[in-house]
Amino acid sequence: MLLTQNAIQFINENLAIIAPLLIIQVVLMITALVSLIRAEATNGPKWMWVLIILFINTIGPIAYFIFGRSHES
Amino acid sequence: MQWMTIYKKECLESARNYKWVWVPLVFILFCIMDPLTTYYLPQILESTGGLPEGATFDMPTPPPANVFMMSISQMNTLGVLVIALITMGTIAGERKSGVAELILVKPVSYTNYVTAKWAAHISLVLLSIFVGLLASWYYVQLLFGDISFIYVLITTAFYGVYIIFVLSISLFMNTWTKVPGFVLFLTISILMILNIISSVFSHLLEWSPTKIPSYLPSLLRSGEVETDLWFASLFTIVTIVLLLFGAIQTLKRKEIV
Repeated sequence: MLLTQNAIQFINENLAIIAPLLIIQVVLMITALVSLIRAEATNGPKWMWVLIILFINTIGPIAYFIFGRSHES
Repeated sequence: MQWMTIYKKECLESARNYKWVWVPLVFILFCIMDPLTTYYLPQILESTGGLPEGATFDMPTPPPANVFMMSISQMNTLGVLVIALITMGTIAGERKSGVAELILVKPVSYTNYVTAKWAAHISLVLLSIFVGLLASWYYVQLLFGDISFIYVLITTAFYGVYIIFVLSISLFMNTWTKVPGFVLFLTISILMILNIISSVFSHLLEWSPTKIPSYLPSLLRSGEVETDLWFASLFTIVTIVLLLFGAIQTLKRKEIV
């Protein structure tokens, strides 16, 4: 409990510094998801890429953009 | 005219692949990760624990120039990897899938084809690097202290020469094989071998392209461009031209079937 309170306080104090980092990660994730939804086909099943993009931070979207997009379309 | 058409086509393709969005974002992330973790290192150590009770040790705050160089060394590893990954299929993949045939069956010169692709990738990558290092500069300025913006710009410009060199190697390798994965492997191995050779024979090979990053810290601190750095950059530019020429020649001789 004490730890979480400290964490919340810490985040409040440093929000201005950390916010850009979070925003970039979220934008990256959303771009990857939009691209995934609009893609007709991907390398491997789509639901797998959704999970990768959502749950693997930063590396997930990058991996999708590099390896996930099929080049046939 | 023709050159511009291919260049525009490449840029359009990058836009369709969302490359103009994700590559700059990823480079920003790479660049700001290190200044942030360095700044929060005491808190991170404290919260992960592992230090004995009452143990204190003072972490000296690194000078701003060092922190900025951390971003550049991050670029040297992860950034170069991303660059090699996004360029690995640019010609090799098109030759494999037959798109290159479709383009080159028309009266498109090999020179235009290769250099336009090269220029399109350079626009994307240089923009990304510039944005990333700008973000790094902002954070260093905010968290660590003053660092001259002009010096940062000069450093970025020289680093850009090195990055163009990396791109040219990848493009050159693209004409040698049709397998994108193999292009990646060749690009990274060549860079690694060059790195090792120029650090082993560092006194003999002061103009090696891979030595450019090692000249940057002093440039960032003093703003003075060393003679060796000028020659290294000049030598790198010559190498880039040779690599492009080599790529065009290989592509011609392979006479795409």
